[in-house]
Amino acid sequence: MSRQASGFRAWVYQRITAVLLLLFFVYLLSTLSFAPPADFVAWVEWLSQPLVRIGLLIFVGALLLHSWVGVRDAIIDYVHPLGLRITALTLLALWLIGTGLWVLTILG
Amino acid sequence: MKFRVYRYDPESGQKPHMQDYDIETFRGMMLRDALKAIKAQDETFAFRHSCGEGVCGSDGVNVNGTNKLACVTPIADLKEPVEVRPFPGRPVIRDLVVDMTQFYEQYKAIEPWLKRKEPTPEQEILQSPADRDKLDGLYECIMCGCCSTFCPSFWWNPEKFLGPQALLSAWRFLADSRDQAKDERLDFLEGPYKLFRCHSIMNCVEVCPKGLNPTKAIGHIKELMLKKAV
Repeated sequence: MSRQASGFRAWVYQRITAVLLLLFFVYLLSTLSFAPPADFVAWVEWLSQPLVRIGLLIFVGALLLHSWVGVRDAIIDYVHPLGLRITALTLLALWLIGTGLWVLTILG
Repeated sequence: MKFRVYRYDPESGQKPHMQDYDIETFRGMMLRDALKAIKAQDETFAFRHSCGEGVCGSDGVNVNGTNKLACVTPIADLKEPVEVRPFPGRPVIRDLVVDMTQFYEQYKAIEPWLKRKEPTPEQEILQSPADRDKLDGLYECIMCGCCSTFCPSFWWNPEKFLGPQALLSAWRFLADSRDQAKDERLDFLEGPYKLFRCHSIMNCVEVCPKGLNPTKAIGHIKELMLKKAV
């Protein structure tokens, strides 16, 4: 059974990343509302915990993948001229990759 | 009762416009009866209809913003003035008559017949009552087009997205124990357009005059793809 990335797999990625996003959002909201880091030093300390770091990396990865599938869907629905569509998808891809690299430099 | 009806005659050179009609009503009057009364007043008015009892699926129209089958829509439930327009997103041939070619092409594309790998037996291919039950809610589709022409994804990509009607029918054959072409059918539905333009907006479920649920059928197709993939 060969299923390409464009249809079925994109849908599966969207579903899986949705669950990951929900789980991390719940963690993030509860941490930030019950025990928010008080100052910059506390923030750095919080972010230097390996579990938080790994969680955050997975979260950002899931967020980027989820955004790619979702915004790509909106572009396929509404942007019909081929040149414009390719431009829009390229800009989106560059922006998502850029965001990912930016997060890596912050956490790295 | 007051009606505002969409009028367009491409041969007249005039732009489409809404025309008002006043209709004498009777108890139990359906929208189709009202359209017939309008036709009696003004014979230039064109609309499709046939059986008059929700079986042939000819008289689907857009009423007060929602797609309905005129013959099973009691006018007592409608707000005045009743605005009757052709199906949205379809090219208008004249008045309420639209070109449904793309809709039928999408139905044709799913190959709506039983496919057998094994030689066809002399007698009927038997089916258990449980397997037969799986076709309930699927085979009843009369192809009126209310769902597909009310689906935003079909408005945006009518040439590539199959639309709720064809997808419901695709599941009708995938769910049939007698069909032996499940893998080909699923492979055909792959890609970003044919099936996956559906974003579960569920307009199809809202308007189906037979109370069918294309969104659920589409969900079943995705589930089956998932089962085959893992």
